[in-house]
Amino acid sequence: MTLTKDKAALNDWYVVGISTDVTRSAPRRTRLLGQDIRVTRAADGAICVTLTGGEEDGRAARAEEHYGFIWATFGAPNRCIFPLAEAFEPDRRVVTCGTVDVAASGLRLVENFLDMAHFPFVHTDILGALDKPEVEQYQAEIRADVDEVWATNCRFWQPLAAAASKGGQMSHYVYRVVTPFNVLLYKTCPEAPDRFDAIALFIQPVEADRSIAYPLMVVVDSTSTDEDIVMFQQKIFLQDRIILENQRPRTLPLDPRAEIPTRADLSSVAYRRWLKTKALRYGSYEYAEA
Amino acid sequence: MGIVLYNHDLLADAYKVKLLLSVLGMDFERRTVGILPGNGNDAPAYRDLNPAGTVPTLVDGDVVLTRPEAMLVHIAECHDTSGRWLPAEPLARAQVFEWLAFATGDLAAAEAARLQAMFGVVPALADAFADTRAAFRLAEGHLARRALGGLTFIAANHPTIADLAIFPAVALAADVGIGMEEFPRLLIWARQIHALPGFITMPGVREVI
Repeated sequence: MTLTKDKAALNDWYVVGISTDVTRSAPRRTRLLGQDIRVTRAADGAICVTLTGGEEDGRAARAEEHYGFIWATFGAPNRCIFPLAEAFEPDRRVVTCGTVDVAASGLRLVENFLDMAHFPFVHTDILGALDKPEVEQYQAEIRADVDEVWATNCRFWQPLAAAASKGGQMSHYVYRVVTPFNVLLYKTCPEAPDRFDAIALFIQPVEADRSIAYPLMVVVDSTSTDEDIVMFQQKIFLQDRIILENQRPRTLPLDPRAEIPTRADLSSVAYRRWLKTKALRYGSYEYAEA
Repeated sequence: MGIVLYNHDLLADAYKVKLLLSVLGMDFERRTVGILPGNGNDAPAYRDLNPAGTVPTLVDGDVVLTRPEAMLVHIAECHDTSGRWLPAEPLARAQVFEWLAFATGDLAAAEAARLQAMFGVVPALADAFADTRAAFRLAEGHLARRALGGLTFIAANHPTIADLAIFPAVALAADVGIGMEEFPRLLIWARQIHALPGFITMPGVREVI
């Protein structure tokens, strides 16, 4: 495996570990965009990401810590790591939910995260019910000012929307794709219906068709334990994982003729179009290592 | 005091115990051990109970068990009034123990391969994936031979705890990336387990097959 030459992929930030998992005595070895890396913590607490092997063996990558995660980039991103205002609200629980390895492109993971139509079938009796499969009309757009993809006015009936749910609810969703491999959603909070829980899926593209997923919950929940919140999210994501690993091709086709979208796929259409305008190819079906 | 299961919903070993409790219609208290992520199994209070730090742990009065196959034996012996899940008849009983040992031994590779595929947990085995397929072939051959005599369950002419001990690894094969098309007898057998009254699933086990 070698580091990709895809410029758009190189010039972005990626999660490469959970902050609390990397200590002075416990470094982390992993891979990002095909490049092996070592993540270490210095005596003063500073985090360091170093390329190991390949043409640039020993070079330090830029690294920062935000929202409980270690972020790294090999290139020169033209913007900071995206803002997530909810993470700073005093009554929010910010819970990192571990990691899950998935043998699929990170772009596939983002697209699955954006999709509501699979809720009743993949997350039966949790995020959807088999007798209420309809995806109501919603809007999806590329927001040029912030360079993000948003889907708004999404509504879906959910039997068990969150760890704190006592019964079913009509959940309102807003989706926000902040970078090609990092995506968030805001959904009706069962405990405070006037507020939104934020759930993020940060993806470490290990290789073009292999990923490590890091779910993050930023929720208003005064009753569930951390273990309950993590377990809820892990269960959901492992249901997705089976579907993701069975999608073919493992990479995401960007050619509009490759697949036939329906109205429920509006967010996916916007996402794929956005990836094309960014000239992002890593993880796509059209990507070929030069 | 009733049964307490120190549990984690993503583990096959916890699932097989809950499956037996469910088909017997038994109530029990579940306490989640914070692992995957976390190391709640290293907490001193948990190590007091279970020095090996494995999950699950079963507490039933004075009985504390840390090995899932032992839990199945205990629950069947003390709480199954039908006497069918652990038969007293010597031939069937011997077969149950034979296949419980298979579940503990050969099939351990399946959970190791699964935790490696999903969470990057490094297995102690050199090739957990190959060992899993080897174990599946043994069970497939066993069921194929029994089918010649018209028998469709692992150890008796009805389901026993041996079936429940083996079922989770087979039902979770997709998590490992093992295709079941080469194990048709296992698939037919798994369908019968799905049809049991009181059957429950876990994440990764489909409602219907």
